Amino acid sequence: MYRTDGNTAEIEFLYRQHGPALLLFAQAVTGERSRAQDAVHQVFLKLIEKGSLNQVSDKKAYLFACVRNAALNEGKFQSRNAPLDPDAAWFNPPDRDYAGEQNLRRALQALPRDQRQVMVLHVWGEMTFSQISNLLDLSSNTVASRYRYALAKLRDSMFAKENPCANS
Amino acid sequence: MPTLDDERFEAYLKQFSPLVPEPLPAVGPRHRTQRMFVLGAWAATAAAILVLGALIVHVRTNRARVTETVRNVGNPEHIQAGQPLTMRSANALMARSPSFKAMVDDLAFRSQTVPLPKGKRSAIAVLGKEKFKL
Repeated sequence: MYRTDGNTAEIEFLYRQHGPALLLFAQAVTGERSRAQDAVHQVFLKLIEKGSLNQVSDKKAYLFACVRNAALNEGKFQSRNAPLDPDAAWFNPPDRDYAGEQNLRRALQALPRDQRQVMVLHVWGEMTFSQISNLLDLSSNTVASRYRYALAKLRDSMFAKENPCANS
Repeated sequence: MPTLDDERFEAYLKQFSPLVPEPLPAVGPRHRTQRMFVLGAWAATAAAILVLGALIVHVRTNRARVTETVRNVGNPEHIQAGQPLTMRSANALMARSPSFKAMVDDLAFRSQTVPLPKGKRSAIAVLGKEKFKL
């Protein structure tokens, strides 16, 4: 039986608020949009079915952890090293910069998965290194280190030659 | 400590907003309608089962009552001492008794306390005039 009280409204609000970042994070984990979508839906449907998040102190971090577990479990039933879908868009580009979106997506796909996860969690999930370290069960230093490597690789990959942003 | 370049690059990356996921199936209007339909179907089924059960109980109760009535019609003890013996009850008695003699013997001990109205004859008197082969 699905609840239709304030808890459901709160969960729907969380879905609208964090859904895009959670979907992107699930895509970074699974490498596939449909599986990522399934993982995010699975988490929120369970939350609606089972109750509220009143006892959770950091709801955003909890949601990312749930989505990560769901995406990893989903991946166990699929092939473990599924290639990232090169054609499906991950972002809404600013000013219809579709080439930039493709460039960013390819650069993200080229990153190792652990670095890609940290990158997505920090930039688009707006999580602190401390929150990410709790989520991924790593030290904060490791997370910060992965982020720095990922950021440098991403920038090199995207702006090494053609983009003047890299030179500023 | 992040450099200025890092900060500018992060700001550039944040201009790309992640795609919005598809609406949750459980809270979308279509799913809600489907759920209401399923709940309605379950409620209708439960109501139908209740009505059917009540009907079955009603029919069984009535049948038991009729059976009891029919059984009582043929029961000599069912005939009250004050009631006159009619052809119907006599026939029922005859049908249930092991023999005609047993029936007559059973009735012989019953006193006819109520006088019969004019033009009516006692069943015993009628049966007494018949010649049966015992």
